[in-house]
Amino acid sequence: MTLSATVPARRRRTAPRALRRFFGHKLALLGLGIVLFLTIACVVGPYLLPYDELYIDLRARFAPPGTGAHILGTDPLGRDIAARLFQAGQVSMAIGFAVMIIATALGSVIGVLSGYYGGYVAAILMRIVDAFLSFPSVFLLLALAAFLKPGPAMIALIIAATSWMEVARIVEAEVKSLKNRDFVQAAQMLGLSGRWIMFRELLPNAIGPIIVAATLIVARAILLEAYISFLGYGIQPPVPSWGNMLNGAQQYLGQAPWLAIVPGIAITLAVTGFNFIGDGLRDAFDSRSGGR
Amino acid sequence: MTEHHDRPLNPARRRTLMLLGAAGGAMMAPSVLGRSAAFAQGAPSGQIILGFSQEPTVFNPLMPHIEVDDGIYYAIFDPLFDFDPDGQLFPILVTEVPTVANGGISEDGLTWRIRLKEGVTWHDGTPFTAADVKFTFELPVNPDFRSFRTTGYALMRDITVVSPTELTWTMTKPFAPLAGVLASTFIVPAHPFEGQDPNAAPFNNAPIGTGPFKWGERMAGDHILLTANANYHGEGPHLERLIIRYIPDLNVMYTQFKAGDIDVIGLQYITPDHLTEAEGLPGVATEVAGTGSFESFALNMQRPQFKDLAVRQALYAALDKTSIIDALYYGVPTPTETYMPQQSAFFNPDLPPHAFSIEKANQLLDDAGWARGAGGIREKDGVRLAFTNSTTAGNHLREQAQQFIQQTFAEIGVEMTISNLPPAVMWGDYWMNSEFDTVVVGMNQLSGADPDTTNYHRSSASPALGGAGQNTLAYQNPRVDELLDAGAASFDPDQRREIYRELQAVIRDDLPFLPMFQYAVVKGWKEEVTGPAPNVNNRIDSWNVRDWRRG
Amino acid sequence: MLRYLLSRLGQSAILLLIVSCVGFCVLSLAPGGPLSQFALSPGMTQEQLTRIADQMGLNRPLPVQYMDWLSHLLRGDWGVSYRDGQPVLAIIQRHLFATLLLMGTSTAIAIVLGSAIGIASAVRRGGIFDHTMTVMSMVALSIPTFWFGLVAIYVFSLNLGWLPSGGMYAVGNGSLADYLHHLIMPALVLALVDVAIWSRYMRTSTLNVVHQDFVRTARAKGLTRRRVLMKHILGNSLVPMITLAGLQLPVILGGALVTETVFTWPGMGRLFLDSLGYSDYPVVMGLLMASALLVVVGSLAADLIVALIDPRIRLN
Repeated sequence: MTLSATVPARRRRTAPRALRRFFGHKLALLGLGIVLFLTIACVVGPYLLPYDELYIDLRARFAPPGTGAHILGTDPLGRDIAARLFQAGQVSMAIGFAVMIIATALGSVIGVLSGYYGGYVAAILMRIVDAFLSFPSVFLLLALAAFLKPGPAMIALIIAATSWMEVARIVEAEVKSLKNRDFVQAAQMLGLSGRWIMFRELLPNAIGPIIVAATLIVARAILLEAYISFLGYGIQPPVPSWGNMLNGAQQYLGQAPWLAIVPGIAITLAVTGFNFIGDGLRDAFDSRSGGR
Repeated sequence: MTEHHDRPLNPARRRTLMLLGAAGGAMMAPSVLGRSAAFAQGAPSGQIILGFSQEPTVFNPLMPHIEVDDGIYYAIFDPLFDFDPDGQLFPILVTEVPTVANGGISEDGLTWRIRLKEGVTWHDGTPFTAADVKFTFELPVNPDFRSFRTTGYALMRDITVVSPTELTWTMTKPFAPLAGVLASTFIVPAHPFEGQDPNAAPFNNAPIGTGPFKWGERMAGDHILLTANANYHGEGPHLERLIIRYIPDLNVMYTQFKAGDIDVIGLQYITPDHLTEAEGLPGVATEVAGTGSFESFALNMQRPQFKDLAVRQALYAALDKTSIIDALYYGVPTPTETYMPQQSAFFNPDLPPHAFSIEKANQLLDDAGWARGAGGIREKDGVRLAFTNSTTAGNHLREQAQQFIQQTFAEIGVEMTISNLPPAVMWGDYWMNSEFDTVVVGMNQLSGADPDTTNYHRSSASPALGGAGQNTLAYQNPRVDELLDAGAASFDPDQRREIYRELQAVIRDDLPFLPMFQYAVVKGWKEEVTGPAPNVNNRIDSWNVRDWRRG
Repeated sequence: MLRYLLSRLGQSAILLLIVSCVGFCVLSLAPGGPLSQFALSPGMTQEQLTRIADQMGLNRPLPVQYMDWLSHLLRGDWGVSYRDGQPVLAIIQRHLFATLLLMGTSTAIAIVLGSAIGIASAVRRGGIFDHTMTVMSMVALSIPTFWFGLVAIYVFSLNLGWLPSGGMYAVGNGSLADYLHHLIMPALVLALVDVAIWSRYMRTSTLNVVHQDFVRTARAKGLTRRRVLMKHILGNSLVPMITLAGLQLPVILGGALVTETVFTWPGMGRLFLDSLGYSDYPVVMGLLMASALLVVVGSLAADLIVALIDPRIRLN
């Protein structure tokens, strides 16, 4: 297969340069550091703490941070907030990654189909994209979550259903511009199937922007999970998520502000981390950008 | 539906609170008596702002509505008669409450006669007559009308207007609870519905009643303004204006009460964690008052796990009520063994008391042959002692109680999985058709002060068993059916008391639901306001709004 | 121009149709329903619930219900609320004011602040200010709005006691000062994200303009830096910002929803949550349609304004 060799060659040339640019990007490195730190904390943390995230001790309710071994305090049921925060981090970040995979896959397929075939296919698919974009996504999310049984998998699916449009648009634009290039036309002349061309030739060449969009989707998904869980329509207790730890925190704001502050900082950190990485990746893949 | 919002408090102090509750009750007694005592009928003056955390939206009392809507009805409309705080009926639109003794109800309970007060007019000046009462009784069973309920009305036949102030009807069977139904039936006028679709009549958004206050204006999402009915047929009103404000957030509502922006804090009330603070506020009266709702851990009796009485008894023994009430609910509610409010004359005080004991629960299950299997979960004959528990997602306090119960149940080898649902899903088919395993729910099963609970406990009232009603636990006990039938057919108060006390004992032994506590709420009003009084027999505070006054 | 307008209108109509169809299916296929709020009422029976559902037409086949709803909508009848029988359009109009007040104020804050930060960053590209603002705007974009609101309430209402913690006005007080007093915190909280977005776009937009010939010419002609900035850069870089404003509408609307919840602001967002809780489908559908309409009209208007003020852009 002589032809396919030419395509990876294109990638091979850009990849190391992009990697180098990425590692030269201070914010991106900071973001990577934050995300790694949070991931490790959430995975290892539970083993270091003397408390189980579900263990209820009514005598120890509303302990402020620093009470005994409760480094971040306790919640209204006397559960250790640090233990819950780590467990919640696993849930929230898992949702973020699940959303990324689903939304990126869906968006890529729709984008590549409409970019490659154009015409009516593109017209219909892109109108659907527009329709989804014109819903304020929180409205759609809540409408869906209010009526479906909320569990981590369902929440991930619902968020993914409102997160794929960006990828679809990016891929569509990218594919449209690539489709008339030599290597695609050569592939068509060789009689390769449309499916092969779309998924083996075109899509890999759009990988840069897709990765950037995917990173930003993780950030957005973590935020959206927090929004809907905060409003009570997301992950349900006793499973902790960063969002549902904030649900109800408003009531205790005067008495136990740490209930609101601690998970909010975790969310902000995680989302900032992914946004920094995404920004770095964008600069790394975008050959036109001359650095900041 | 009773949705009690939670607030945290400082250390629980149940005893103190209960004492306060008792003291509050005693304190309020004079103002209740004040109604019958001679108060000079002065001109209405001043205004009261009453805050609700839910928005009243249905103004035709015969259409489907929720608790908070009743708050408006008591001001705009009148029932024929109503329950006072002791569960006794007092006349409002009638000259005398019909009973067997005074001949208003025939000996066999089949013929009823009521006599109406003379000279009562609707807010628009039209005279109020027996024809309006007849219309009110007939509208709920009109098949084209979106009716709230048909219980009682469906049994009425030959409703006859004898004179403008006299009405008679017969019943297809003796039905003592009709008095309770009528006490919560607000009489609506017939004339605004002439030639109108009753579901869409203009009346439904600008109601006309005989009550102490007239409809003023409604700013949806904000407030409803009611003005004094100068021609009210009874004593009162003493206020020029009654403003009912909708404040959807309990924190904000409390803050506004504290700031003096609202005079009386209504439905959903002061959150328990603010009780201590509220008591210290200058110029403010607070009171802990029992309500007609009780919280229970309800079991779906169709599930194989719950067919064994030993399981139900063990679960009850493992329910740490005291911790839930004292810590999570700040000691405001009162533990209970039954669905009947403790203030009711029909309450059975001799039910066996609950004692929390993990050992006893384990013993019960061991003796019944439920052995620990995989993962420490008990099982017997292939049935695992595992089930889901559901409630309305977003009710924080109940969610906390749920998670606490989950932990104690795990200690006796019972696996409880929490599966909460949004309200619209929870109380739909999932509840009505008994699709749940267990539910934590707050309910008021009485209609007014009448002790009849046929709709909740009779085997024929279970939709899952092919019946019609709210016996969603699919509870069946022939003795319960007998008692309910006997109680509904009896007009003798003493006999009824015995029947309903036995009923509570039978249900307590069967444990189709694990009774947790009777709800209590923290009410508050400015000291310069007089009138607000608790009444466990009515759904909402404004039951005596005609008596409220300022200064 | 006319052809363009017609085709855009056609596309918008199709878009709204898709939105309505998806929304209606999601709501109607969901379990539960508007009657479940009555399920716990004393004396309610399943029979009675079924009867009410029949009368409300809830038991008809879904396509019939949809066509019925759609045909009424096309005739300007948005239906009535299941909760209080009020016309949906009137309900939405009432809540629209509160939402527009909040969104408008916060957008105004965002435009002023965001433009200033964006231009300042672009003018001294690579400077300390530029770098700081870059990082800060990315952090701002990462903060959950509702959490920021909670922290603001904690600081300014609970601790300092400067501002009310919620509501649009105090009971019985409808003065302008009172409105402003209640408005300031939610508007600033909501503006946080918008400031970040606006400043980013403004920076890029300004950078694109700075390098164009006419700016260099203007500078060469000896115009002061400030005049060049004000006259040319601001004018030219504002054009793409109008498009952005159109595109940002759904985001701002979504943000307003959450902010309204935290601050108990009586707008469309809270109406949406309330209606959702009661399964008041006509209102929920009305809000979905109204917000989609707002977004469609917003972006259309933005495009048209751009076309009118910037002759270089040709519509096709």
